[in-house]
Order: sequence, then C-alpha cells, then structure tokens
Amino acid sequence: MKRKSILVLSLVLIGIAAMTAYGQKTQVTFWGLQAQMPSLQPIIDSFMKENPDIDVSPSGYGTDPIKEALKVAASSKSLPDLWFTWGGSLGSFYVENGLTLDLTKTAKDQGWAKVYNQAAIDLCTFGGKISGVPYHLAVMGVFYPKSMLAKLKLNPPATFDQLESELKVLKANGVTPLGFGSKFGWHTMRLTEQLIEHYAGPQKHTRLNMLTASWNDPAVVQAFQKLKEWSDKGYFPKGFVALDPTEAESQFYQGKCAFIIEGNWMDSALIQNSLDPTNFGMFKFPTDQKPVRMSSFAEMFQINGQTDQAKQEAALKLARFMTSAEVINTDVDNYGAPATLGVNASAKSPHVKPMSDEVNKGSFQITDQALPQEVAQRLFEAQDKVALGEWTPQRAAVELQNAADAFKQK
Amino acid sequence: MRIRTLKPWFFLLPALVIYLFDIVGPSLYTLYLSFFKWNGVAPQKEFVGFSNYAYLLLNDTVFLHALKNNLLWTVGSVVVITTFALVLALMLNQKLAGRVFFRGMFYFPYVLSGIVVAMMWRWLYNPTQGFINGALEFVGLGAWALPWLADPRLALAAVFIAAVWQGVGQPMVLFLAGLQTIPVEAYEAATLDGVRPLQSLWHITLPLLRETSIIVLATTIISSMRVYDIIYAMTGGGPAESTQVLTSWMYYQTFRFANIGTGSAISWSIVLISLCVVIPYLYFTMKRTNA
Repeated sequence: MKRKSILVLSLVLIGIAAMTAYGQKTQVTFWGLQAQMPSLQPIIDSFMKENPDIDVSPSGYGTDPIKEALKVAASSKSLPDLWFTWGGSLGSFYVENGLTLDLTKTAKDQGWAKVYNQAAIDLCTFGGKISGVPYHLAVMGVFYPKSMLAKLKLNPPATFDQLESELKVLKANGVTPLGFGSKFGWHTMRLTEQLIEHYAGPQKHTRLNMLTASWNDPAVVQAFQKLKEWSDKGYFPKGFVALDPTEAESQFYQGKCAFIIEGNWMDSALIQNSLDPTNFGMFKFPTDQKPVRMSSFAEMFQINGQTDQAKQEAALKLARFMTSAEVINTDVDNYGAPATLGVNASAKSPHVKPMSDEVNKGSFQITDQALPQEVAQRLFEAQDKVALGEWTPQRAAVELQNAADAFKQK
Repeated sequence: MRIRTLKPWFFLLPALVIYLFDIVGPSLYTLYLSFFKWNGVAPQKEFVGFSNYAYLLLNDTVFLHALKNNLLWTVGSVVVITTFALVLALMLNQKLAGRVFFRGMFYFPYVLSGIVVAMMWRWLYNPTQGFINGALEFVGLGAWALPWLADPRLALAAVFIAAVWQGVGQPMVLFLAGLQTIPVEAYEAATLDGVRPLQSLWHITLPLLRETSIIVLATTIISSMRVYDIIYAMTGGGPAESTQVLTSWMYYQTFRFANIGTGSAISWSIVLISLCVVIPYLYFTMKRTNA
C-alpha cells in the first residue's frame, strides 16, 4: 500500500513537472499553405530543436480556405501568432485594421535590405509600414512541355501573333492549348491580365489596377473579346469555367494541355508530381510591350500585432529562420522562389533563378491582389460570363467599372 | 405551490441558458450588425439603418438570383427528396431479402460530410475524366457527355442530384419509423374489403403518415434554406455566380469582402424566410398536442 502511494505520488509529481515545463515554453501557432508544408515542416522541426523554449503548432490550409480562415479568425479575434499571406488587398486587410506587427524598425535594425530582395520588401509594405517577413517573390510565366513543342516543330512564341498561330497548331493536333480552370476565377485571371497588359499597355494597366483609369475602355473590351474568341475556338479544357485549377494542372501534368501560366514555384510542383522540371520550358507571355512585364506578387509571414511580446518575438524568430539563406540552402530544391538574397540556385529547379532575375526588368502586381476583392470577384464573374456568352465584352467592361465605382463609394 | 410552479423552470434552466447564449444572443447580435456598415475588426461601426437590406434588394447583382436558387432548391427538395424518400421507405418496409442491407446502403450517404460528397461528385462530373461522361461515351451517347458543372443551365441541377443522393437517407428513416406505427390490422381489413394497393396507400398510409410527413417537410425546407457546403465545394457558387445561394453569398460578403453588415442582412433574410415555414409548423404541432 505504501509503495503504491509512493508510485502514484511520483507519477503525479512527474506530470506536474512536465506540465510546468510545457507551460514555460512559448507557444506559437502558425498557419500556412498545405502545399508548402512538406518544405516547411522539416524547417520548423529544426527550429524547435535549436530553440527548445519555443513550441510551434503549424496548420496547413488550401489556397482559398486560408484566405477565408484568416478573415474568420480576424473577426473572431482568434488569429494565429504567425500566418502566411499574399500581398496587395489580400494582406493589406490585416495591416489596415491594426492586426499585424509593424516590422519597419525591426527591418532597419536587422538590415533586411541586405537580406531580402527589395522588390519583395516593397510588396510587403503597406501604407509605409513593413508588415510582413518576405517569404517568396513569385513571378508568373507560361510553362510548356518541351517535347510537345519540339514534336510540332514550334518554338516559344516571342510575339502575340506567333502565340496565336501556335495555339491554332496545337488545337489542330489534338492538344488543349491553354490549361486553365476557372472555378475560383484567379487561374484564368492570370491569362486575362496578360491580355489586358497586351491591349492596354503598362501605364494604363497599372492605372486600371489602381482604379484611376476607367475599366469601360476599348482595351478591356478587346481583352475580353480575345478571351471569348479563344474559348469559342476550344483552346481551353472542356468545361473550364467550372474546372478546379488543380484539375486543369492535372491535365497539364498528363500532357493534355500545352500552356499554363504558373509561378516560379512550378518546379517544386512538377517534382512533387514526379516530373522533371528540365523537361519543361518557360517563356514570358508575349504582350508585345517594352518592357515585357511579368505578373508578380510577394508571399509573406505576418505576425499578430495583438498577442503578447514573447509570442511576437518567437514568431519573428521563426519567420526569420524559415526565410534565412542558410536554411533555404539545405532544401533549395523544394523551397520555391525565395525572396531571400544569396540563396544557391537549385539544379532541380532550373526556372527559379531566371524568373526571379526577370522580375527586375519589369513587373506588375497580380490582379487579384492589386484590385479590391469585390472588384476582383466581378472580374472573375465577367470572365465566366463572357466565355459562356452571357455577357458581351462591352458589357463586361461596363460591369467592371460599375464594380469599381461601387467600391469607391463604399 | 409556488415551488411547484417554478419547478419546471429549474429543470429547463441549464438548457435555456445554453440556448440563450449560443443561439438567441448571437442571432440578435447578427440582427444588430445588419443595421451597420462594418468590416468585422474596425473599432467603429457606421449605423446605416435598413440600407443593407435595400442594397440587397435593389443593387446587389447576386442576391435575388441566390434567393431564386434557394427557392428552386427548396421546391426541389420538397418534391424530389421527400417523394423519393417515401417511395424508398415504402419499398424497404416490405419483407424483402437483404432489407437491412438496402436500408443501410440508402442511409449511408447521409452520414458523409457535404465536402466528401462534393469531392466525389465533382470527379464523377469531370468533363473529360469523370465516370458519368466516360460511361455515356462508352455506350455511344457521347453527345450527352456535357460539362455538367460548367453550364449555368445545368450546374444547379447537377449539384442538386448530388444533394439528393446524400439527403434522401434521413427522411427515408423518418418515414420508415412512421410506417412502423401504422397498425397492420388496418391493411388487413382493407384487403378483406378488396381495396387495391394504390387505394390503400392513398386512404390509409398517407393519412396515418401525416404527422411524420409534416416533420419531414419542415426539416427538409429548413435544411434547404441552409444549404451551403455541397454548393461551395462543387462549384464555388459559379460558373458566373449561377449556383450562388443565400448562405454562400452571405459567406462571400462576410468573409471574402468583409462586409459584415451586408452578410448579416443576408443571414436574417434566411431567418425571416425560414420563419414563414417554422411558425405554421409550430402552430400546427401545438394545436394537435393541445387537442
């Protein structure tokens, strides 16, 4: 009986000690993209080994679910300590409402200008405040299987006319020329914005995104006319307006689609799908403008500005660790396109460095981050309705301007 | 005597407290928010009165279409799901070999989550790799292999078929339970009088299933007004907002656009429409109970 009592007491004391030790650790909750977790989880595990006083609880979400989960969390005051987000109107919401930690002084003290690509730092800056730790600097290009073009004796198109003629050849040879899925709108938007860049030119395109130029413009009409024309010619997968982007990508991986607009994470995606990135080429969408600008955006980690200082410091330490050159170089093949300077080029990701270099020659912010979300949603609706023949391109342009006006009035 | 009067309230109190805090309180707060313009996190809210409701009825490009979709969904649910459930219940109430297996088979989809059902049916409907179009092409009906979820004329019906597959189980079980309460002697007497099966269904089964039918209809209508997950997962409200329903549009307004006031106004629109069913239902059941 006495021995039993001593045993029970010992177990209780051990339990209390364990809980006390656990309680002394700083708990950091982190929300990221599910697709990035295979690359980030080992980094988080290394971080916790090096920082035994910090415990990280990561959660992975899909691309659209994380946008909604963060908004729900913001409304219910349950944001995690650290979260992944994109720039533009997707990330600025949290900054505008005082939910993020201002990192401007930290960036200056820690010399971020020498650590991160300045373009990425600029894209993480809202209202003059640096509000995120730069993670990826994404640049969009047109990917294609090299063997498919070689078989049809085609070269990456350098002009818009050349692109159009190649789309025709691809279609005639039983290939779906353009691999896009419009279920959420943003995948097809990557093509629409390039058409707008082609017809409107860089300056007007930038003003359109800033809502300082009218969307009811002939250039916008022409862009939608071209979208409609390509849809009618069957250049998109069957039923593409309802296709999930992952379904469209799956058709590309199976060699059924020729061209797809993706970012410099594509090499990682190809590897994850057991494909060799060296078998795929990339070209800048031929907008016939000078310079040919590429769509780009930053991905960042934002820190909860309303949590306690210990958690904020731990979250910042984690974010800096996840974006440090030393850590990235240990798994550069799977990391994607880092915003960090001084990172080794990946032999398995041949497109990352060339695309990251191109962004300095000319870029524009991707449309669904440049525009307010209500206007972006109307653009997605317009894409579908023009492709389905429910709206004329002229009506699409008018509706977009109506959406812009309604937002400005709000 | 006083204690006797208060006693039932003491027993009700725990459930009542939970109900007030978890349902009534948040519902009233949502009603309050529907009169404001607010993004969900800003410290100040702007009082706008009935402007959010007026905006939905007069200016919102999706609300009325979403309301129409909800009404179509409700009518479809009442006609198709309840009829189908009743037919299945009548068949499975017979002494058939494998009756238990078939009851489980038809009930099984109901226990799956809406997201799982949506993912299954998305792949079934896939225009180039889906089973449905593959089967149609295999039997020589390739012309019928349509982009089911991409055609605004078909998309809502296509999602509804998935919802019927999932939703028929629960009303079927309720009808089965109701059928068990019908005395066998009524059918025996009818048989002796030479009544045909259809007459037996019309004059005995359906009248004696009346109370079960009212429960099934009321729950089906209320569920149809709340439909969300299967639509959002299958089409995201597209193509071109054609399959938006009130709940999905409320979600977009509230969590995508941060228009909390507008989203709250939509949610109370759903409540008001549902009350048109719930209040007569409650009146009827209370009247029957008191009688």
